[in-house]
Amino acid sequence: MDYYFTVLSTLILFTAFLLIANKRPDSYIKTFRAQSLLLALTTAIMGTHNLFAEGHYDVMVVCLLIIILKVIYIPNLLQKTQANVAYVVEKDFFSSIPLLVILCCGIVAFTYFTLISMEGMDAGPVNIQLVNSVSVILIGLLFMISRKRAIGQIIGLLVIENGLYITGIFATHGLPFIVDLGIFIDLITAVIVLAMMVFKLNDEFSSIDTNKLKKLRG
Amino acid sequence: MGLALFMVALLAILFYIFLNQKTLLHVISISSATLFMLIAFFLTRSVLRDGVIYSAGFFYLDALSAMILDIVLIIGWIASIYSVGYLETEVKTGKLEVSQIKLYYLLMAAFNFSMMLALTARSMGIMWIGIEATTLTSVFLVGFYNAKKDLEAAWKYVIICSVGISLALLGIIFLHLSSVEVLNGSHLLSWPDLFANAADLRSSILKLAFIFTLVGFGTKAGLAPMHTWLPDAHSQAPSPVSALLSGVLLNTAMYGIIRTAAIVNKNLGSSSYTGHLLIAIGVLTMLISAISMLTQKDYKRMLAYSSIEHMGIITVAIGIFSPAAIWGAFFHMVNHSLTKSMLFFASGDIYLHYHSKKIANVKGLLQALPLVGTVFFLGLFAIAGVPPFSIFASEFSIIAAVFDGGHLFLGAFLVLLLAVVFVAIALVLFKMFFGKEGSTEPSVAGNVSGEVMLVVMLVMISVGGLYLPDQLIQLISQAQKLIIGG
Repeated sequence: MDYYFTVLSTLILFTAFLLIANKRPDSYIKTFRAQSLLLALTTAIMGTHNLFAEGHYDVMVVCLLIIILKVIYIPNLLQKTQANVAYVVEKDFFSSIPLLVILCCGIVAFTYFTLISMEGMDAGPVNIQLVNSVSVILIGLLFMISRKRAIGQIIGLLVIENGLYITGIFATHGLPFIVDLGIFIDLITAVIVLAMMVFKLNDEFSSIDTNKLKKLRG
Repeated sequence: MGLALFMVALLAILFYIFLNQKTLLHVISISSATLFMLIAFFLTRSVLRDGVIYSAGFFYLDALSAMILDIVLIIGWIASIYSVGYLETEVKTGKLEVSQIKLYYLLMAAFNFSMMLALTARSMGIMWIGIEATTLTSVFLVGFYNAKKDLEAAWKYVIICSVGISLALLGIIFLHLSSVEVLNGSHLLSWPDLFANAADLRSSILKLAFIFTLVGFGTKAGLAPMHTWLPDAHSQAPSPVSALLSGVLLNTAMYGIIRTAAIVNKNLGSSSYTGHLLIAIGVLTMLISAISMLTQKDYKRMLAYSSIEHMGIITVAIGIFSPAAIWGAFFHMVNHSLTKSMLFFASGDIYLHYHSKKIANVKGLLQALPLVGTVFFLGLFAIAGVPPFSIFASEFSIIAAVFDGGHLFLGAFLVLLLAVVFVAIALVLFKMFFGKEGSTEPSVAGNVSGEVMLVVMLVMISVGGLYLPDQLIQLISQAQKLIIGG
């Protein structure tokens, strides 16, 4: 099973790289959907294992929730939001894409050397999986600061959340079920709140470029 | 008993959804806040008697959470009474509509609910969920007036705090990872179990967990350099909301840091690891806020920066982690909450009268608004740490604890920073009391219910500097013993 997890965590890291290289909000949303699908696959493998080995079905429920929320509902909601505010085509990244990709490689190397040097972390496959998943969190952060439009920042936040989730899965085989459930409720509320904020920003500023938010300083 | 809190909150939310009459909404708000106070009274009494309350598997209340919960509910009660007058005045001047009042109360109830959840959860995971939910429930309260500046503040608030709080979740995951070999089943992530078995947790992972929770909850608590959203959000929100954000929410975020620090300190057997981090970040917070305060032009922003400064003091005190410092930190939390929310309530009345948040536009405050002006004036002295007010007492005990711990330079530097803050408040805000009010147009009748509450709070912070009820002393001492683990 560890072999599958290593492959999947690498694929999830790969989608994070893909995301950083995306230029348009539509492609961000597609990449996010693909990443969530991989997430669901990982959870499904874990869930089947738990079901047959220990008789717990709660990881399967979480997997179902991921498919409903992260693969279907949230990307659709974001696509709808994007369609409603996207009448101006704006360039949406600060520095050049190759530079950002090189920075991402740096992030992975940094995470690798930080985690490998820590005593008490399990050696071997778990460590590689952790390196991959913590890198996804940091790449999500980089993505957030490299994009100007509100949609990009929301996707960044969601990728950070995906990274957190797989870190939880790989490191500890999942948080307690009730906590996972609560995190999902929080996540869905957060996305709805952010989507509403995007509409309000668009109404008031006629744009969702967050560089225009400059009134409050000091 | 504890679950009654959540039932009352849910019931109130249901009422807000289905009722549309303004008076009824006010009545429900005040009566639910009063019920909360009553429940909190009984809960606190049993905590004082029995130590801790467990119920229904996830509910957990000890002296520390009871103390912060009491602050939340007392200030929530005052805010509910103040809000009636504030909202009525805004409706009269045509700035708000009745449907917005409904939304306001609904969001306030949800906001209170999330704070209560964070403070009474046994599991650190649920506590995280509660703290994250406070951002989501209060973001529309921050952007309540929907003007450009409000939306800007709200966007910064929700984005920065959400990212910050995600890092705290990573911290919680690492905390979980450090304990998987020790705890199982329903004990996973439960604070009392983690604390009891702290010695067996894996130290290296725990250290990592502490850094992430410090950065994550520190973002919510307004610690520098993650504080940038705070002055915007606290100054743009309607004043009763600002009072809750500054007076209550910051403590709730700090609560997450204290809980984690207690586990890590017990595991490592000394406080030097968390101490170095906390003291560094606390001093940086105080330094940045003290410098920023010197250049402010907006009185609500000024108060927001002052909140950052006080969070810095509390962080330093928790970093010292001696019994006296922890006692001072908890006492300071109580005092700062009362004083700062009083100042924000007063600033709301000032705003209703002058229709401006700029210091330059406020002149002759004492003549224009004698009662509010006096409360604001005395409140500024109190927040700057002048005796006989209660903030002086707690700041003094923290500084004394710092010197007692042998940190001479740190203590001297803190005193210097506090002096800078005092000068900043005197230089910048005292301008509001000079001069004569320009326009003589009669303003709308003031916020009477709010003014009564201002006087009540002024009495509380004045008396608190000279005399403390035994129950409060006992509650704080119990919380201190719990965290030190003696």
